[in-house]
Amino acid sequence: MKILVPVKRVVDAYVKIRVKPDGSGLELANVKMSINPFDEIAIEEAVRLKEKGLATEVVVVSVGPAKSQEALRSAMAIGGDRGILVETAETDVIEPLAVAKILKAIADIEKPALVLMGKQAIDDDCNQTGQMLAALLGWPQGTFASKIAIDGGVIHVTREVDGGLETVKLKTPAIVTTDLRLNEPRYPTLPNIMKAKKKPLEIKTAADYGVNLAPRLKVLKTTEPPVRKAGIKVGSVAELVAKLKTDAGVL
Amino acid sequence: MNIAARNVAGRPIDYDAKGLVERAHKALRAADRILAVAKTGVAAKIAAVNGDVDAVQHSAHGLAWCATTVEGLRQMVSWAEGLNAQAKFNDFEQLILVAAFAEYLAQLAGGIAMNQGEVVRPEALGISKADIRAFEDTAEVQELIATGSSDAVKARLAQLIAEQPNATTFGNAGLDEIHGELVETMRKFALAEVIPFAHEWHLKNEYIPLEVIQKLADLGVFGLSLPEEFGGVGLGKESMCVVSEELSRGYIGVGSLGTRSEIAGELILANGTEEQKARYLPKIASGEMLPTAVFTEPNTGSDLASLKTRAVREGDVYKITGQKTWITHPVRADIMTVLVRTNPAEKGHRGLSMLLAEKPRGSDEKPFPAEGMTGGEIHVLGYRGMKEYDISFDNFPVPAANLLGGVEGQGFKQLMNTFEGARIQTAARAVGVAQCAMDLALKYAMERQQFGKAIYSFPRVANKVVMMAVEVMIARQLTYFSARQKDLGKRCDLEAGMAKLLGARVAWSNADNALQIHGGNGFALEYPISRVLCDARILNIFEGAAEIQAQVVARRLLEAGN
Ligand SMILES: Cc1cc2nc3c(=O)[nH]c(=O)nc-3n(C[C@H](O)[C@H](O)[C@H](O)COP(=O)(O)OP(=O)(O)OC[C@H]3O[C@@H](n4cnc5c(N)ncnc54)[C@H](O)[C@@H]3O)c2cc1C
Repeated sequence: MKILVPVKRVVDAYVKIRVKPDGSGLELANVKMSINPFDEIAIEEAVRLKEKGLATEVVVVSVGPAKSQEALRSAMAIGGDRGILVETAETDVIEPLAVAKILKAIADIEKPALVLMGKQAIDDDCNQTGQMLAALLGWPQGTFASKIAIDGGVIHVTREVDGGLETVKLKTPAIVTTDLRLNEPRYPTLPNIMKAKKKPLEIKTAADYGVNLAPRLKVLKTTEPPVRKAGIKVGSVAELVAKLKTDAGVL
Repeated sequence: MNIAARNVAGRPIDYDAKGLVERAHKALRAADRILAVAKTGVAAKIAAVNGDVDAVQHSAHGLAWCATTVEGLRQMVSWAEGLNAQAKFNDFEQLILVAAFAEYLAQLAGGIAMNQGEVVRPEALGISKADIRAFEDTAEVQELIATGSSDAVKARLAQLIAEQPNATTFGNAGLDEIHGELVETMRKFALAEVIPFAHEWHLKNEYIPLEVIQKLADLGVFGLSLPEEFGGVGLGKESMCVVSEELSRGYIGVGSLGTRSEIAGELILANGTEEQKARYLPKIASGEMLPTAVFTEPNTGSDLASLKTRAVREGDVYKITGQKTWITHPVRADIMTVLVRTNPAEKGHRGLSMLLAEKPRGSDEKPFPAEGMTGGEIHVLGYRGMKEYDISFDNFPVPAANLLGGVEGQGFKQLMNTFEGARIQTAARAVGVAQCAMDLALKYAMERQQFGKAIYSFPRVANKVVMMAVEVMIARQLTYFSARQKDLGKRCDLEAGMAKLLGARVAWSNADNALQIHGGNGFALEYPISRVLCDARILNIFEGAAEIQAQVVARRLLEAGN
């Protein structure tokens, strides 16, 4: 069974992001970037499946600027076997639908039994690509997976839904998107970091797959979230109740 | 956070990246001229006392510090050039460069603090007033000092630092992709597995858990620079540096563990017989065998060559008898590298040999469950997590086949040959501790409110953090440089010694100032900075006390032809 794992290079989770003064987007120059944490979970799961003998090859793919190679190398340091970068220009705005189309084209060529991917990227929080890809391919999908079990050609996916846990059965080929609790990704070891540098990495373009990247959405404005105002200390319960009534108006 | 009061939107320097690098180059040339004058001056002082360096230690060690200061600047220029060539020499890095130059150039002219109480003045180095005047009048020196020490530069740096308080490094460290990735991996590991626990290990005087050691082993840390044929990863000293730095930033004990094996490994790799290499290196690389270094004695610390512990050969075994002290992590170690005297007729270093002595692991209750070996714990201020012991050997047996290299009398020389690596590694640990102090200082300063605002908005608080960032970068670049030289197979004892000297001073001053920023809370055991202060203190003592280190550097500088 071949597994395809798409990964995205995003602003590191520890970075404090800032909006550009003109509101046209985020300040990304010289900001630390990392592999999207949900994608890291996906690659970890794929590698575990391979280690259990349930998968034969793990192919990692990224759609993004040249530097996305770093994300692919990180994924290969965890255990991905080879990488495909669909390189875009630094300035291109890539929307989920475009990524889904490219992934569909790659799935048509690679014919994986499973596409294992993050439920969302922590930069735009879209949470769309997996679902769109499932629709384009006409494959079954199990989103927000917190547990995956494979049994022949059937994948049991435990999903985190509002009411609790739901388990769905999917026939391969299928799409599974990962949630936070699926696993805890390992630290890549020093030898594996070195080995990842030598693993094959193909560079492609969107045109190679006949996909037009032109965005269909327009971002009007980006603004900082409102700054939290300093709180106040109250001297007594009576004062608290009074303030809740008058100032906060919640009582 | 309220930094509005110090908000400086504009660029506090007037020239572009290229202009700055050019100015720094010229100022560096002027600094080199001062160093040349100092060398001549100190050589004359030594000649005047008939070559007795010890009689003029203040000047000789001052020369070492002068050269270290200049070398630090040289490596900063080379860092800046490297970044500039890749269009990565941005505002943050430029301001760090200009602040570094301002401070160190001014110190060259006015006096360098070897430590808080001992400042070496130009006069002590035989530098005349006229030389100093010419130096200070050099346009670039003047300009860089004026700009770099301005409030505007420090305020802007303070702002840049506060914008990314969780940054891996403050300013691009100039590493290539692979070393950058090693840093990120180790940082991630330290954030999850080390930082949340380090302070408790320290407060309870607990060992770093074996599970953590196992995880380090799984990552490949213990075999980092051993060749692959011996189960290592085959990386260079630069990798060793960045790994040590990041782990020590988490906790000095972990950083010291991680590469302690490295030193034993180097000792055996460079000097061992084929059998010794095959027997020990793979186990050291895998972490299966933890090593400990057994050199120091109650009466021989800095003057190691005069040590007294004897090893007497009886047939196929050496029997060790004598007192050792200050031995780090001996209880849980499996193999000791013991420096002993095999030839009592030779009082100096020629009578010394290195033995590879295996031992069983012990416990707090029974530290040394072996015949002929006893010892007790030394209670320490910091640098815990591995525990230090006094050890007495009484006819402790070691197979004769475990004489390192198979030839007696080589022990001291073998050890000296690992000193470059050990110094680089200790310098890297110092940089990590210095960075840890800065991390804690920054976090506290941004959170702590006084007079209605974060104390970080007061220049005297933020400036401390800024200078921490600047000096960490200087010490780091000097350390990386030594490592890269070593990786190229070049001699680097001088630079490595300087890196250790500077790194230890910066670790201490950063820890001290970071504690100051914590006010009374810094004095509470509960706050991690109290530990980091204690941890930072060791760096000036071991692997060559600061005075010994300065002496070694000075000697090398004054060697003929230099
Ligand atoms: C926490 C800790 C861990 C250690 N771990 C180990 C270990 O694992 N293995 C091991 O073998 N050793 C270890 N050591 C020992 C360490 O290497 C020695 O402490 C160090 O070499 C200094 O020796 P000393 O303590 O005897 O000081 P001394 O040599 O007595 O020096 C005392 C002071 O005098 C100064 N001084 C000495 N000679 C001169 C001189 N010629 N000119 C000017 N000043 C001079 C020194 O710089 C120092 O300031 C450790 C020490 C500590 C504190």
